[in-house]
Amino acid sequence: MEPEISNQSLFFLIIFVIVPLALSYYYQLGVSKNVIWSTVRGTVQLFAIGYILTFLFDLPARYGIPFMLTVMIIIATFHARQKGKGLPYVGFILFGGLLAIEVGVLSLWLLFDMIQFKPSEVIPMSGMVIGNSMTAMGLALERMKNEFKENNGRLLASLSLGAEPKQASHLIVQNTLHASLIPNVDRLKTIGLVQLPGMMTGLILGGVSPVMAIKYQLVISLSIFSSVSLSAMFITLCMYRYFFNKNKQLLQTDEEIRSSRS
Amino acid sequence: MFRFEHVYQGVLQDINFTIEKQDKVILFGPSGAGKSTLLFLLNRLNDPDQGDIYFNGKPIEEHSITALRKQVGLVLQAPNLFPGTVLDNIKYGPSLFGDWEEQQGKKLLDYVQLPSDYLERDVDQLSGGEKQRVSLARTLANSPEVLLLDEPTSALDYRTAEEIEEVLECLMEEHKLTMLMVTHNLNQARRLGNRGLFISDGQIVEDGKIPDMLDHPKTEELGKFLEQ
Repeated sequence: MEPEISNQSLFFLIIFVIVPLALSYYYQLGVSKNVIWSTVRGTVQLFAIGYILTFLFDLPARYGIPFMLTVMIIIATFHARQKGKGLPYVGFILFGGLLAIEVGVLSLWLLFDMIQFKPSEVIPMSGMVIGNSMTAMGLALERMKNEFKENNGRLLASLSLGAEPKQASHLIVQNTLHASLIPNVDRLKTIGLVQLPGMMTGLILGGVSPVMAIKYQLVISLSIFSSVSLSAMFITLCMYRYFFNKNKQLLQTDEEIRSSRS
Repeated sequence: MFRFEHVYQGVLQDINFTIEKQDKVILFGPSGAGKSTLLFLLNRLNDPDQGDIYFNGKPIEEHSITALRKQVGLVLQAPNLFPGTVLDNIKYGPSLFGDWEEQQGKKLLDYVQLPSDYLERDVDQLSGGEKQRVSLARTLANSPEVLLLDEPTSALDYRTAEEIEEVLECLMEEHKLTMLMVTHNLNQARRLGNRGLFISDGQIVEDGKIPDMLDHPKTEELGKFLEQ
Protein backbone atom coordinates (compact mmCIF):
# COMPACT_ATOMS: atom_id res chain seq x y z
CA MET A 1 0.00 0.00 0.00
CA GLU A 2 1.32 3.42 -0.89
CA PRO A 3 1.37 5.73 2.10
CA GLU A 4 -0.85 8.73 1.62
CA ILE A 5 -1.83 11.76 3.66
CA SER A 6 -5.52 12.52 3.27
CA ASN A 7 -6.68 16.06 2.52
CA GLN A 8 -8.39 16.11 5.88
CA SER A 9 -5.13 15.26 7.67
CA LEU A 10 -3.34 17.85 5.59
CA PHE A 11 -5.82 20.46 6.75
CA PHE A 12 -4.70 19.97 10.35
CA LEU A 13 -1.26 21.26 9.32
CA ILE A 14 -2.82 24.60 10.02
CA ILE A 15 -1.91 23.98 13.67
CA PHE A 16 1.74 24.30 12.72
CA VAL A 17 0.96 27.73 11.30
CA ILE A 18 -1.16 28.85 14.21
CA VAL A 19 1.71 28.36 16.66
CA PRO A 20 4.06 30.98 15.13
CA LEU A 21 1.05 33.22 14.43
CA ALA A 22 0.04 33.11 18.08
CA LEU A 23 3.63 33.79 19.15
CA SER A 24 3.85 36.73 16.79
CA TYR A 25 0.57 38.13 18.11
CA TYR A 26 1.43 37.59 21.77
CA TYR A 27 4.92 39.11 21.59
CA GLN A 28 3.88 41.75 19.04
CA LEU A 29 6.58 40.67 16.60
CA GLY A 30 4.66 42.10 13.68
CA VAL A 31 5.37 39.12 11.43
CA SER A 32 1.83 37.67 11.28
CA LYS A 33 1.24 38.94 7.75
CA ASN A 34 4.53 37.50 6.65
CA VAL A 35 3.81 34.11 8.23
CA ILE A 36 0.43 33.86 6.48
CA TRP A 37 1.78 35.03 3.14
CA SER A 38 4.78 32.65 3.29
CA THR A 39 2.57 29.71 4.19
CA VAL A 40 0.08 30.37 1.41
CA ARG A 41 2.85 31.02 -1.11
CA GLY A 42 4.83 27.92 -0.08
CA THR A 43 1.73 25.71 -0.29
CA VAL A 44 0.71 27.02 -3.71
CA GLN A 45 4.30 26.70 -5.00
CA LEU A 46 4.59 23.11 -3.79
CA PHE A 47 1.23 22.04 -5.26
CA ALA A 48 2.11 23.78 -8.53
CA ILE A 49 5.46 22.01 -8.73
CA GLY A 50 3.66 18.75 -7.86
CA TYR A 51 1.40 19.15 -10.88
CA ILE A 52 4.30 20.25 -13.12
CA LEU A 53 6.32 17.21 -12.03
CA THR A 54 3.36 14.91 -12.68
CA PHE A 55 3.12 16.41 -16.16
CA LEU A 56 6.87 16.09 -16.78
CA PHE A 57 7.05 12.54 -15.48
CA ASP A 58 4.44 11.57 -18.05
CA LEU A 59 6.43 13.11 -20.90
CA PRO A 60 8.84 10.92 -22.88
CA ALA A 61 12.23 11.06 -21.13
CA ARG A 62 14.07 12.52 -24.12
CA TYR A 63 11.95 15.71 -24.02
CA GLY A 64 11.03 16.05 -20.38
CA ILE A 65 14.52 15.59 -18.90
CA PRO A 66 16.48 18.08 -21.07
CA PHE A 67 13.65 20.60 -20.76
CA MET A 68 13.46 20.47 -16.98
CA LEU A 69 17.24 20.36 -16.51
CA THR A 70 17.65 23.45 -18.71
CA VAL A 71 15.01 25.31 -16.72
CA MET A 72 16.66 24.33 -13.44
CA ILE A 73 20.14 25.38 -14.60
CA ILE A 74 18.87 28.73 -15.91
CA ILE A 75 17.09 29.51 -12.65
CA ALA A 76 20.16 28.41 -10.64
CA THR A 77 22.38 30.62 -12.83
CA PHE A 78 20.23 33.70 -12.21
CA HIS A 79 20.15 33.01 -8.51
CA ALA A 80 23.92 32.47 -8.10
CA ARG A 81 24.64 35.48 -10.32
CA GLN A 82 23.33 37.80 -7.60
CA LYS A 83 26.37 36.92 -5.49
CA GLY A 84 28.77 37.71 -8.30
CA LYS A 85 27.18 41.00 -9.33
CA GLY A 86 29.56 43.23 -11.21
CA LEU A 87 31.92 40.47 -12.32
CA PRO A 88 32.20 40.18 -16.09
CA TYR A 89 30.79 37.09 -17.85
CA VAL A 90 29.71 35.65 -14.51
CA GLY A 91 26.35 34.50 -15.90
CA PHE A 92 27.89 32.59 -18.82
CA ILE A 93 30.53 31.02 -16.61
CA LEU A 94 27.96 29.93 -14.01
CA PHE A 95 25.71 28.47 -16.69
CA GLY A 96 28.62 26.64 -18.33
CA GLY A 97 29.87 25.30 -15.00
CA LEU A 98 26.47 24.09 -13.82
CA LEU A 99 25.77 22.48 -17.19
CA ALA A 100 29.13 20.69 -17.30
CA ILE A 101 28.77 19.43 -13.74
CA GLU A 102 25.21 18.20 -14.27
CA VAL A 103 26.10 16.46 -17.53
CA GLY A 104 29.15 14.86 -15.91
CA VAL A 105 27.28 13.61 -12.85
CA LEU A 106 24.29 12.39 -14.85
CA SER A 107 26.54 10.52 -17.29
CA LEU A 108 28.24 8.70 -14.41
CA TRP A 109 24.91 7.78 -12.82
CA LEU A 110 23.63 6.37 -16.09
CA LEU A 111 26.91 4.75 -17.11
CA PHE A 112 27.17 2.78 -13.87
CA ASP A 113 23.48 2.02 -13.77
CA MET A 114 22.84 3.85 -10.52
CA ILE A 115 19.61 5.36 -11.78
CA GLN A 116 17.46 4.99 -14.86
CA PHE A 117 16.90 7.60 -17.55
CA LYS A 118 13.39 8.34 -16.32
CA PRO A 119 12.13 11.83 -15.40
CA SER A 120 10.97 10.56 -12.00
CA GLU A 121 14.55 9.57 -11.14
CA VAL A 122 16.71 12.03 -13.07
CA ILE A 123 14.83 15.25 -12.20
CA PRO A 124 14.75 15.02 -8.37
CA MET A 125 18.33 13.71 -8.20
CA SER A 126 19.62 16.36 -10.61
CA GLY A 127 17.70 19.03 -8.73
CA MET A 128 19.72 18.25 -5.63
CA VAL A 129 23.03 18.37 -7.49
CA ILE A 130 22.20 21.60 -9.32
CA GLY A 131 20.79 23.26 -6.18
CA ASN A 132 23.82 22.41 -4.07
CA SER A 133 26.25 23.43 -6.83
CA MET A 134 24.41 26.72 -7.18
CA THR A 135 24.78 27.45 -3.47
CA ALA A 136 28.45 26.45 -3.54
CA MET A 137 29.19 28.71 -6.52
CA GLY A 138 27.31 31.62 -4.95
CA LEU A 139 29.15 31.25 -1.67
CA ALA A 140 32.51 30.93 -3.41
CA LEU A 141 31.85 34.12 -5.41
CA GLU A 142 30.84 36.05 -2.34
CA ARG A 143 33.79 34.77 -0.34
CA MET A 144 36.23 35.54 -3.15
CA LYS A 145 35.02 39.15 -3.44
CA ASN A 146 35.50 39.60 0.31
CA GLU A 147 38.93 37.97 0.23
CA PHE A 148 40.05 40.34 -2.51
CA LYS A 149 38.88 43.31 -0.45
CA GLU A 150 40.42 42.10 2.81
CA ASN A 151 43.75 41.15 1.25
CA ASN A 152 44.15 44.25 -0.90
CA GLY A 153 47.47 45.19 0.74
CA ARG A 154 48.92 41.69 0.46
CA LEU A 155 47.92 41.47 -3.18
CA LEU A 156 49.59 44.80 -3.92
CA ALA A 157 52.70 43.67 -2.03
CA SER A 158 52.80 40.44 -3.94
CA LEU A 159 52.32 42.10 -7.36
CA SER A 160 54.90 44.75 -6.50
CA LEU A 161 57.44 41.98 -5.89
CA GLY A 162 56.90 40.69 -9.42
CA ALA A 163 54.19 38.04 -8.94
CA GLU A 164 51.85 37.13 -11.77
CA PRO A 165 48.14 37.59 -10.92
CA LYS A 166 47.84 33.83 -10.56
CA GLN A 167 50.68 33.71 -8.03
CA ALA A 168 49.41 36.77 -6.19
CA SER A 169 45.90 35.32 -5.83
CA HIS A 170 47.13 31.92 -4.65
CA LEU A 171 46.29 32.69 -1.02
CA ILE A 172 42.84 33.98 -1.96
CA VAL A 173 42.01 30.96 -4.08
CA GLN A 174 43.21 28.74 -1.25
CA ASN A 175 41.09 30.54 1.39
CA THR A 176 38.01 30.56 -0.85
CA LEU A 177 38.24 26.85 -1.60
CA HIS A 178 38.95 26.02 2.02
CA ALA A 179 35.89 27.96 3.18
CA SER A 180 33.71 26.34 0.51
CA LEU A 181 34.84 22.77 1.15
CA ILE A 182 35.07 22.55 4.93
CA PRO A 183 31.29 22.67 5.69
CA ASN A 184 30.83 20.09 2.97
CA VAL A 185 33.36 17.72 4.52
CA ASP A 186 31.83 18.25 7.97
CA ARG A 187 28.34 17.52 6.67
CA LEU A 188 29.51 14.23 5.19
CA LYS A 189 31.19 13.27 8.46
CA THR A 190 28.01 13.59 10.54
CA ILE A 191 25.58 12.32 7.94
CA GLY A 192 22.96 10.01 9.48
CA LEU A 193 24.17 10.68 13.03
CA VAL A 194 22.52 14.01 13.70
CA GLN A 195 19.60 13.81 11.33
CA LEU A 196 18.55 11.43 8.62
CA PRO A 197 19.08 13.05 5.24
CA GLY A 198 15.92 14.28 3.50
CA MET A 199 16.06 11.91 0.58
CA MET A 200 16.53 8.88 2.78
CA THR A 201 13.66 9.96 5.02
CA GLY A 202 11.45 10.38 1.97
CA LEU A 203 12.28 6.94 0.61
CA ILE A 204 11.69 5.24 3.96
CA LEU A 205 8.32 6.99 4.31
CA GLY A 206 7.57 5.89 0.76
CA GLY A 207 7.95 2.28 1.85
CA VAL A 208 11.49 1.56 0.63
CA SER A 209 13.68 -0.58 2.93
CA PRO A 210 16.25 1.47 4.95
CA VAL A 211 19.22 -0.32 3.33
CA MET A 212 17.95 0.48 -0.15
CA ALA A 213 17.26 4.07 0.97
CA ILE A 214 20.84 4.31 2.22
CA LYS A 215 22.19 3.17 -1.14
CA TYR A 216 20.31 5.98 -2.88
CA GLN A 217 21.39 8.42 -0.19
CA LEU A 218 25.03 7.42 -0.71
CA VAL A 219 24.74 7.99 -4.44
CA ILE A 220 23.28 11.46 -3.95
CA SER A 221 25.48 12.47 -0.99
CA LEU A 222 28.72 11.57 -2.72
CA SER A 223 27.52 13.09 -5.99
CA ILE A 224 26.69 16.33 -4.17
CA PHE A 225 30.02 16.24 -2.32
CA SER A 226 31.94 15.92 -5.54
CA SER A 227 29.87 18.41 -7.55
CA VAL A 228 29.97 21.03 -4.79
CA SER A 229 33.77 20.72 -4.58
CA LEU A 230 34.09 20.96 -8.34
CA SER A 231 31.68 23.93 -8.50
CA ALA A 232 33.62 25.95 -5.95
CA MET A 233 36.92 25.15 -7.64
CA PHE A 234 35.59 25.88 -11.13
CA ILE A 235 34.07 29.26 -10.30
CA THR A 236 37.06 30.39 -8.21
CA LEU A 237 39.63 29.44 -10.83
CA CYS A 238 37.57 31.00 -13.61
CA MET A 239 36.80 34.26 -11.84
CA TYR A 240 39.93 35.35 -9.95
CA ARG A 241 41.54 36.65 -13.15
CA TYR A 242 38.83 39.27 -13.60
CA PHE A 243 40.15 41.09 -10.53
CA PHE A 244 43.24 42.07 -12.56
CA ASN A 245 43.70 43.90 -15.84
CA LYS A 246 45.95 42.87 -18.69
CA ASN A 247 48.84 44.87 -17.21
CA LYS A 248 48.81 42.69 -14.10
CA GLN A 249 47.31 45.47 -12.03
CA LEU A 250 44.77 44.91 -9.29
CA LEU A 251 41.35 46.38 -10.03
CA GLN A 252 40.27 48.15 -6.90
CA THR A 253 36.62 48.98 -7.43
CA ASP A 254 33.57 47.15 -8.78
CA GLU A 255 33.40 49.84 -11.47
CA GLU A 256 36.95 49.06 -12.63
CA ILE A 257 36.22 45.33 -12.67
CA ARG A 258 33.03 45.84 -14.66
CA SER A 259 34.61 48.10 -17.25
CA SER A 260 37.86 46.15 -17.58
CA ARG A 261 36.45 43.72 -20.11
CA SER A 262 34.10 45.98 -21.99
CA MET B 1 66.58 56.93 -14.47
CA PHE B 2 62.90 57.96 -14.46
CA ARG B 3 61.38 60.68 -16.58
CA PHE B 4 57.79 61.87 -16.35
CA GLU B 5 56.37 63.84 -19.27
CA HIS B 6 52.95 65.45 -18.91
CA VAL B 7 51.62 62.61 -16.78
CA TYR B 8 47.98 62.63 -15.66
CA GLN B 9 46.48 59.97 -13.39
CA GLY B 10 43.56 60.45 -11.01
CA VAL B 11 44.38 63.55 -8.97
CA LEU B 12 47.80 63.98 -10.62
CA GLN B 13 47.85 66.79 -13.18
CA ASP B 14 50.57 67.37 -15.75
CA ILE B 15 53.48 65.90 -13.79
CA ASN B 16 56.96 66.51 -15.21
CA PHE B 17 60.21 65.57 -13.51
CA THR B 18 63.35 63.50 -13.87
CA ILE B 19 65.02 61.28 -11.31
CA GLU B 20 68.70 60.50 -11.58
CA LYS B 21 70.48 57.41 -10.33
CA GLN B 22 71.05 57.43 -6.56
CA ASP B 23 68.73 60.38 -5.99
CA LYS B 24 67.07 60.25 -2.60
CA VAL B 25 63.78 61.94 -3.25
CA ILE B 26 61.28 62.81 -0.57
CA LEU B 27 57.68 63.25 -1.73
CA PHE B 28 55.68 65.32 0.68
CA GLY B 29 52.54 67.35 0.78
CA PRO B 30 48.99 67.30 2.14
CA SER B 31 46.98 64.06 2.31
CA GLY B 32 45.24 63.16 -0.93
CA ALA B 33 47.70 65.17 -3.03
CA GLY B 34 48.61 62.12 -5.14
CA LYS B 35 51.93 61.07 -3.57
CA SER B 36 51.11 57.37 -3.27
CA THR B 37 49.57 57.38 -6.75
CA LEU B 38 52.88 58.63 -8.06
CA LEU B 39 54.77 55.74 -6.42
CA PHE B 40 52.31 53.23 -7.86
CA LEU B 41 53.00 54.60 -11.35
CA LEU B 42 56.71 53.89 -10.95
CA ASN B 43 56.11 50.26 -10.00
CA ARG B 44 53.35 49.94 -12.61
CA LEU B 45 50.72 49.03 -10.06
CA ASN B 46 48.93 51.75 -11.96
CA ASP B 47 49.27 53.34 -15.40
CA PRO B 48 48.88 57.00 -16.36
CA ASP B 49 45.65 58.14 -17.99
CA GLN B 50 47.77 60.40 -20.18
CA GLY B 51 51.46 61.20 -20.68
CA ASP B 52 54.67 59.20 -20.79
CA ILE B 53 56.96 57.68 -18.21
CA TYR B 54 60.47 56.56 -19.16
CA PHE B 55 62.61 54.14 -17.18
CA ASN B 56 66.30 53.90 -18.08
CA GLY B 57 65.60 55.76 -21.33
CA LYS B 58 62.86 53.40 -22.52
CA PRO B 59 59.09 53.96 -22.26
CA ILE B 60 57.98 52.18 -19.10
CA GLU B 61 55.42 50.05 -20.96
CA GLU B 62 58.19 48.53 -23.10
CA HIS B 63 59.76 46.91 -20.03
CA SER B 64 58.48 43.51 -18.93
CA ILE B 65 56.07 44.31 -16.09
CA THR B 66 57.29 41.65 -13.68
CA ALA B 67 60.97 42.39 -14.37
CA LEU B 68 60.35 46.11 -13.83
CA ARG B 69 58.60 45.42 -10.52
CA LYS B 70 61.58 43.35 -9.44
CA GLN B 71 63.93 46.24 -10.24
CA VAL B 72 61.71 48.88 -8.66
CA GLY B 73 60.86 47.62 -5.17
CA LEU B 74 57.96 49.01 -3.17
CA VAL B 75 57.47 49.05 0.60
CA LEU B 76 53.95 49.96 1.66
CA GLN B 77 52.76 51.75 4.76
CA ALA B 78 51.46 48.51 6.34
CA PRO B 79 53.86 45.56 6.21
CA ASN B 80 51.24 43.28 4.55
CA LEU B 81 53.24 40.16 5.32
CA PHE B 82 52.11 36.82 3.91
CA PRO B 83 51.03 34.12 6.39
CA GLY B 84 53.93 31.86 7.37
CA THR B 85 57.45 32.41 8.60
CA VAL B 86 59.86 35.30 8.10
CA LEU B 87 61.78 33.08 5.67
CA ASP B 88 58.63 32.38 3.63
CA ASN B 89 58.19 36.12 3.23
CA ILE B 90 61.78 36.96 2.43
CA LYS B 91 62.19 34.32 -0.23
CA TYR B 92 58.84 35.12 -1.89
CA GLY B 93 60.17 37.59 -4.48
CA PRO B 94 63.35 35.74 -5.52
CA SER B 95 61.43 32.42 -5.69
CA LEU B 96 59.11 33.94 -8.30
CA PHE B 97 62.11 34.37 -10.57
CA GLY B 98 63.80 31.12 -9.51
CA ASP B 99 66.82 32.79 -7.98
CA TRP B 100 66.54 32.19 -4.28
CA GLU B 101 69.61 30.89 -2.45
CA GLU B 102 69.35 29.74 1.15
CA GLN B 103 72.35 31.76 2.38
CA GLN B 104 70.59 35.01 1.37
CA GLY B 105 68.18 34.75 4.31
CA LYS B 106 70.67 35.60 7.06
CA LYS B 107 72.24 38.36 5.01
CA LEU B 108 68.88 40.03 4.41
CA LEU B 109 67.97 39.92 8.09
CA ASP B 110 71.36 41.40 8.81
CA TYR B 111 70.58 44.33 6.44
CA VAL B 112 67.45 45.15 8.41
CA GLN B 113 69.17 44.49 11.72
CA LEU B 114 67.20 41.45 12.84
CA PRO B 115 68.87 38.38 14.41
CA SER B 116 69.20 35.39 12.09
CA ASP B 117 67.14 33.09 14.35
CA TYR B 118 64.12 35.14 13.26
CA LEU B 119 64.05 33.29 9.94
CA GLU B 120 61.89 30.47 11.26
CA ARG B 121 59.68 32.72 13.37
CA ASP B 122 56.00 33.01 12.49
CA VAL B 123 55.18 36.53 11.30
CA ASP B 124 52.22 36.67 13.71
CA GLN B 125 54.70 36.70 16.61
CA LEU B 126 56.50 39.85 15.43
CA SER B 127 56.06 43.40 16.73
CA GLY B 128 55.00 46.23 14.40
CA GLY B 129 58.56 47.44 13.90
CA GLU B 130 59.86 43.92 13.26
CA LYS B 131 57.13 43.33 10.71
CA GLN B 132 58.11 46.48 8.84
CA ARG B 133 61.75 45.36 8.84
CA VAL B 134 60.72 42.01 7.38
CA SER B 135 58.67 43.83 4.76
CA LEU B 136 61.76 45.88 3.89
CA ALA B 137 63.93 42.75 3.75
CA ARG B 138 61.34 41.09 1.50
CA THR B 139 61.61 43.94 -0.98
CA LEU B 140 65.41 44.03 -0.75
CA ALA B 141 65.55 40.29 -1.46
CA ASN B 142 64.78 41.10 -5.11
CA SER B 143 67.96 43.27 -5.23
CA PRO B 144 66.09 46.31 -6.59
CA GLU B 145 67.84 49.32 -8.13
CA VAL B 146 65.12 51.65 -6.92
CA LEU B 147 63.37 51.60 -3.57
CA LEU B 148 59.92 53.17 -3.28
CA LEU B 149 58.76 53.76 0.28
CA ASP B 150 55.17 54.76 0.99
CA GLU B 151 55.18 56.17 4.51
CA PRO B 152 56.95 53.10 5.89
CA THR B 153 57.13 54.39 9.46
CA SER B 154 53.83 56.23 9.83
CA ALA B 155 52.16 53.34 11.67
CA LEU B 156 55.06 52.95 14.11
CA ASP B 157 55.90 54.70 17.37
CA TYR B 158 58.59 57.39 17.42
CA ARG B 159 61.36 55.12 18.72
CA THR B 160 60.69 52.28 16.27
CA ALA B 161 60.38 54.75 13.41
CA GLU B 162 63.83 56.08 14.25
CA GLU B 163 65.26 52.58 14.21
CA ILE B 164 63.80 51.93 10.76
CA GLU B 165 65.24 55.26 9.57
CA GLU B 166 68.64 54.13 10.74
CA VAL B 167 68.26 50.87 8.83
CA LEU B 168 67.27 52.80 5.71
CA GLU B 169 70.18 55.21 6.05
CA CYS B 170 72.66 52.31 6.18
CA LEU B 171 70.98 50.56 3.25
CA MET B 172 71.11 53.60 1.00
CA GLU B 173 74.75 54.08 1.78
CA GLU B 174 75.72 50.46 1.33
CA HIS B 175 73.68 49.55 -1.76
CA LYS B 176 73.78 52.84 -3.66
CA LEU B 177 70.04 52.66 -4.17
CA THR B 178 67.84 55.26 -5.78
CA MET B 179 65.03 56.11 -3.38
CA LEU B 180 61.65 57.78 -3.51
CA MET B 181 59.94 58.10 -0.20
CA VAL B 182 56.58 59.49 0.82
CA THR B 183 56.65 60.87 4.34
CA HIS B 184 54.87 63.38 6.53
CA ASN B 185 57.76 63.45 8.94
CA LEU B 186 60.00 66.40 8.06
CA ASN B 187 62.83 65.28 10.33
CA GLN B 188 62.85 62.02 8.48
CA ALA B 189 62.94 63.95 5.20
CA ARG B 190 66.01 65.86 6.36
CA ARG B 191 67.74 62.72 7.53
CA LEU B 192 67.11 60.51 4.50
CA GLY B 193 66.56 62.77 1.49
CA ASN B 194 68.77 64.93 -0.72
CA ARG B 195 65.95 66.18 -2.92
CA GLY B 196 62.35 67.10 -2.24
CA LEU B 197 59.21 67.19 -4.34
CA PHE B 198 56.39 69.12 -2.72
CA ILE B 199 53.08 67.94 -4.16
CA SER B 200 49.80 69.70 -3.61
CA ASP B 201 46.46 69.25 -5.39
CA GLY B 202 47.97 66.78 -7.81
CA GLN B 203 50.76 69.08 -8.98
CA ILE B 204 54.45 69.42 -8.20
CA VAL B 205 54.57 72.83 -6.59
CA GLU B 206 58.23 72.87 -5.62
CA ASP B 207 61.22 70.73 -6.58
CA GLY B 208 64.53 71.38 -4.86
CA LYS B 209 67.30 70.34 -2.55
CA ILE B 210 66.72 69.21 0.99
CA PRO B 211 67.28 70.89 3.45
CA ASP B 212 67.14 74.21 1.45
CA MET B 213 63.54 73.58 0.52
CA LEU B 214 62.48 73.04 4.11
CA ASP B 215 64.45 76.00 5.48
CA HIS B 216 63.72 78.51 2.70
CA PRO B 217 60.49 77.60 0.88
CA LYS B 218 60.11 79.47 -2.40
CA THR B 219 56.36 79.18 -2.73
CA GLU B 220 53.66 80.43 -0.40
CA GLU B 221 51.98 77.00 -0.47
CA LEU B 222 55.05 75.19 0.84
CA GLY B 223 55.58 77.89 3.43
CA LYS B 224 52.05 77.41 4.74
CA PHE B 225 52.43 73.61 4.71
CA LEU B 226 55.65 73.80 6.73
CA GLU B 227 54.04 76.07 9.30
CA GLN B 228 51.26 73.59 10.04
